[in-house]
Amino acid sequence: MKDKINLALAQISSKRENKEANLQKIEDLTFKAKEQGADIIIFPELSLSGYVVRDQVYELAETIPGPTVEKLEKLAKKTGMHVICGMPELSEKTQATCFNTAVLVGPQGLVGKYRKMYLPTHSVFEEKRYFRPGYQTAAFQTELGNIGLCICYDIFFPEVLRLTRLKGAQLIVCISASPAVRRSYFETLTCARAIENTAFLAYVNLAGVQDGLQFWGGSRLVSPSGDVLAKAKYDEEDFVICEVDYGDLRTAETFIPTLKDLRPELFDKLKESSELL
Amino acid sequence: MKLALSLLDIDFSEAEKRICRFIKEYVENAGSKGIVLGLSGGIDSGTIAALSSRAIGGGNVLGLMLPEEENFSQKDIEDAKLVAEKFNLQTQICDMSSVLSCLYKSIPVFDPNDRLCKGNLKARTRMIYLYYYANKFNKIVCGSSDKSETMMGYFTKWGDVAADITPIMDLYKTQIRKLAIHLGIPKELVLKPSTPALWPNQTAENELGIKYETLDLILYGLEKFMKTIEIANQLNIQKTIVDAVKNRWLANEHKRKMPLPPKIGYRTVGNDFRLPRHTY
Repeated sequence: MKDKINLALAQISSKRENKEANLQKIEDLTFKAKEQGADIIIFPELSLSGYVVRDQVYELAETIPGPTVEKLEKLAKKTGMHVICGMPELSEKTQATCFNTAVLVGPQGLVGKYRKMYLPTHSVFEEKRYFRPGYQTAAFQTELGNIGLCICYDIFFPEVLRLTRLKGAQLIVCISASPAVRRSYFETLTCARAIENTAFLAYVNLAGVQDGLQFWGGSRLVSPSGDVLAKAKYDEEDFVICEVDYGDLRTAETFIPTLKDLRPELFDKLKESSELL
Repeated sequence: MKLALSLLDIDFSEAEKRICRFIKEYVENAGSKGIVLGLSGGIDSGTIAALSSRAIGGGNVLGLMLPEEENFSQKDIEDAKLVAEKFNLQTQICDMSSVLSCLYKSIPVFDPNDRLCKGNLKARTRMIYLYYYANKFNKIVCGSSDKSETMMGYFTKWGDVAADITPIMDLYKTQIRKLAIHLGIPKELVLKPSTPALWPNQTAENELGIKYETLDLILYGLEKFMKTIEIANQLNIQKTIVDAVKNRWLANEHKRKMPLPPKIGYRTVGNDFRLPRHTY
């Protein structure tokens, strides 16, 4: 496993219902990232299909593995890169059960996927109408370290990222499609989740406008101590290369040892109390 | 939450940036050659003119002045021209008087004393002009409705609110006044009493029966799911006033939606046909 890796935060504006154009952009930026020395490139939530696609999701969703993932696998193999991308996933067992999924591929093929657990269905969001929630957190051991995945609204629920960290994730990747009015929440939560889990947190958000929703960009890499190590522009497409130095984990874990100090018995209480809310 | 006008003090530079990006992206994605807007000489259309000009360049924005004899105001025309000049807009004047006169004559039941029906006819006629120009020159119609009037249903259905985009519809009137000053709209124009100009001496605040400073705080409280009694107590006004605003807001939802069809099919237009807008 490498001690240090380079991330490419690919803050793109995706074209809705145009997987071909989005895949082309993913491909172009992956080659660009490779040229600039990145080991892994991260694209936003549902960047393959666009975020506001409503009923069209049934036409856009694909199984994983499936045709798009095969293309991503070829891309990863060709470039020697790891690629994380958000896409609507179709269950292999049904014809219209979809998930909001983050997929991770590497030079050896599909590494794994994560299905969004918390689907916002309030305000302008209607994700539960279209997606089934996931039931598993995800952390994958790779040659680039242990990489955990989560998606957007999941970050409001500390238990998701805590479980991801406890599964071993050293770098938690949160892909997102967050509209502008929520910027301050995410800017706070990305730092909080990194600090409380003593893990690196890479947040990659969409840019651009879809049905009046303006995605605020602002993708970033946060250190295990909560420092923003790299930050993309607000609102516009941007591309940022940044470095994760896993050596920093020890420093953070010894300074504020949140994992050492975990109290498992509280989680039982948490379960009991949340059932009674 | 303590209801006070300071709550409506948003970052106006940020709002300008967001609205301009929204306009620019929409125009580009629609494959359109620009914007047509009605230029009345009032604050809302002046604000929209300024934002459109900054978003896509004044040369791509056509401001239509649509006077008619009953409500003619040279001052409004001068104010509209002032805005057009300041923000480098293209302009055109279309006198609607003859068209309106024909309309009045062609309607067997036309009642000249029913100023509401007559006024709505004017608002809808303005819409016809705007869409003619949009159609002819491959532009989109940019509406200037604000949040206060839209929530209150204070507009003509299929009239002044008919547009392809409404960039300031999420801002209350008191916020638009501040945005207008931020954009450099002349202060005397910002201070002019708002009017839909459907008949002489009509003003919005008189018709709504409430000052915008109070109305906006009531609407803001309702937006934030506050109870009417809480709003009334905080603003030190009678609960009946807040209830009246709330009832008017709820009663006018039909003006803010597509026409309602009965549910018969598998997926229904305007109901559970949920599709993305392709030109945004």
